[in-house]
Amino acid sequence: MAFLEIDQLHKQFGDLPAVSGFDVDVEQGEFLSLLGPSGCGKTTALRMIAGFERPTSGTIHLNGRDITNQPPNRRHIGMVFQSYALFPNMTVADNVGFGLKLKGMTPADARRRAGELLELIQLPDKGGSYPYQLSGGQQQRVALARALAIEPQVLLLDEPLSALDAKIRVELRAEIRRIQQQLHITTLYVTHDQEEAMSLSDRVVVMNKGFIEQVGPPFEIYNYPRTAFVAHFVGQLNVMPVRVVDAAAGRVALGEQTIILEPPLAANGQAVTLAVRPEELELGAAEGHNNLRGLVESVNFLGSIVRVRVAVDGATLSADLFNERLLTLPKAGEAVTINFPAHAAWVLEEQG
Amino acid sequence: MATETVAVTESTPPARRARAGAGLLTWLGVVPFFLFALAFLVAPASYLFIGSFQTLDGQFTLDNFRNLNQPIVVEAYKNSLQVSFATALGGTIFGFLLAYAVTLGRAGRVRSGLLTFSGVASNFAGVPLAFAFIATLGRIGLITTMLKAVGIDLYQQGFSLYSFAGLSLTYMYFQFPLMILIITPALEGLKREWREAAENLGASSGQYWRYIAFPVLLPSLLGTLILLFANAFGAFATAFALTGGTINLVTILIGSQMRGDVLRDPGLGYALAVGMVAIMAVSITAYTLLQRRSERWLKR
Repeated sequence: MAFLEIDQLHKQFGDLPAVSGFDVDVEQGEFLSLLGPSGCGKTTALRMIAGFERPTSGTIHLNGRDITNQPPNRRHIGMVFQSYALFPNMTVADNVGFGLKLKGMTPADARRRAGELLELIQLPDKGGSYPYQLSGGQQQRVALARALAIEPQVLLLDEPLSALDAKIRVELRAEIRRIQQQLHITTLYVTHDQEEAMSLSDRVVVMNKGFIEQVGPPFEIYNYPRTAFVAHFVGQLNVMPVRVVDAAAGRVALGEQTIILEPPLAANGQAVTLAVRPEELELGAAEGHNNLRGLVESVNFLGSIVRVRVAVDGATLSADLFNERLLTLPKAGEAVTINFPAHAAWVLEEQG
Repeated sequence: MATETVAVTESTPPARRARAGAGLLTWLGVVPFFLFALAFLVAPASYLFIGSFQTLDGQFTLDNFRNLNQPIVVEAYKNSLQVSFATALGGTIFGFLLAYAVTLGRAGRVRSGLLTFSGVASNFAGVPLAFAFIATLGRIGLITTMLKAVGIDLYQQGFSLYSFAGLSLTYMYFQFPLMILIITPALEGLKREWREAAENLGASSGQYWRYIAFPVLLPSLLGTLILLFANAFGAFATAFALTGGTINLVTILIGSQMRGDVLRDPGLGYALAVGMVAIMAVSITAYTLLQRRSERWLKR
């Protein structure tokens, strides 16, 4: 039995289903991210786990205990909000110690514990400050310490980094992962930022229109997307409309050019969509690889990566090249060959 | 601290001259306000202040302030403070409950209507308000007569519109709507996430209100209480039109010192007014400080 069992959770707002068939087991100490676009139901799912929304149907078990209909203040679940939600009338130390005070801890013990948590979030000197005196990043650290103070069985984070600037976001996400691993706390993290989900999580739940599209480790989600939505939503993707020429041999045609894939494929003559990640494409011809001829449309320098867009028989393919000082870049309009190995491409299923 | 004065001369660079010109233009925009404040606030207040230290023939005296100790003056201040505090407290409680109902409670549908009513009612005072109440709750008022028809005689049971209770009830008509107008934004400023975070940490609804919502609202509540107090303290026309001066209030007493009936003593009137200005100034300062504190919390 998993530590947190979410079984066929369903939530309906009026006629509108927000979450359908949400079915996930989370192991103790695991870091699970709910990833998806706005309105996909990820926050609603999290709020049902926190107890702020009552599921229309389905159950939630935490450590063997049915918490589906328990009020939020009896669930032993900590939550960090996007807007920090620090109590403005309390100092940082009082915010962190609030849950402990409610638990009946003596003021001295609550202060000591709050001090330990402020050390953990590397803000030991801010105990006497008020939230309005802190930066966004500092406020979110305090919110994290406050949620951890009550030693919750599960920690929920609802887009905690969305309101912060890029640099702080990267710093704080490493901090969140460090603390999560240090405390070995089961964590559910809602985000629409795939990079955040990929870099933080043990497993990622990709959601779309209230449904789970795929659950798996980041490597699997990225490299073996099970649905067209996941393939498109996670990372960059090149798509090519091709026609199956020889299914048994794995041969398809992109216009006049031939591509060899790993069989089996659909029936001969069928039109399918082929997908390949930009980082799998290389400039130039390579033996044993699929070599496609095309014209360079644009070259974009992105720092560590250079993105070359090539028009190939009705499809535009992006090739991401690692930047290096000696790299020779093609020019727009130049005829080039790009190559990728047979195993790098796969046939996308039709999107429903 | 060193300050720099920029003199605009022919040798001043054009950009700098343009900036100085724009600065002057900005100040020009607020000149009407300063003129208005000077003519109708600073000048009369100074005139009052100076007059409170003068006899009728213009000699310096402290007698006007000594006369504030008279029983009639002490009673006027006591009555004014009582009616102001009672209606401020009543208006704060009633207005808060109504504002809560339309913002956080289940009466959200009538929010817009209530706010519109409050906007009108909070400015409906003076003679029209007094006559509206006389027509409704006077001895032969509509409600009085209707209640009499069903066997409830308000005046027989001790109620009188022309008493302290009646005056307080009339003041309440503009007091609680003012409370609604001021406290509604503060209630809307309470973030849903604060309640959820508190619940998440183990707080009951009562604990949330005790430890978070109420302390956050307290500066606004106290500030509005003070504003309502000042609002009632300065009211004259409603009380005069309703009671004809039978209830001794500071504003009515000032009026009788100035109008020159039997009691005419402008010096005492000025001293009474200075006392009022002092009470109002303290109230408004306290209100401003509390509002500032509340805004600091609710903004973030």
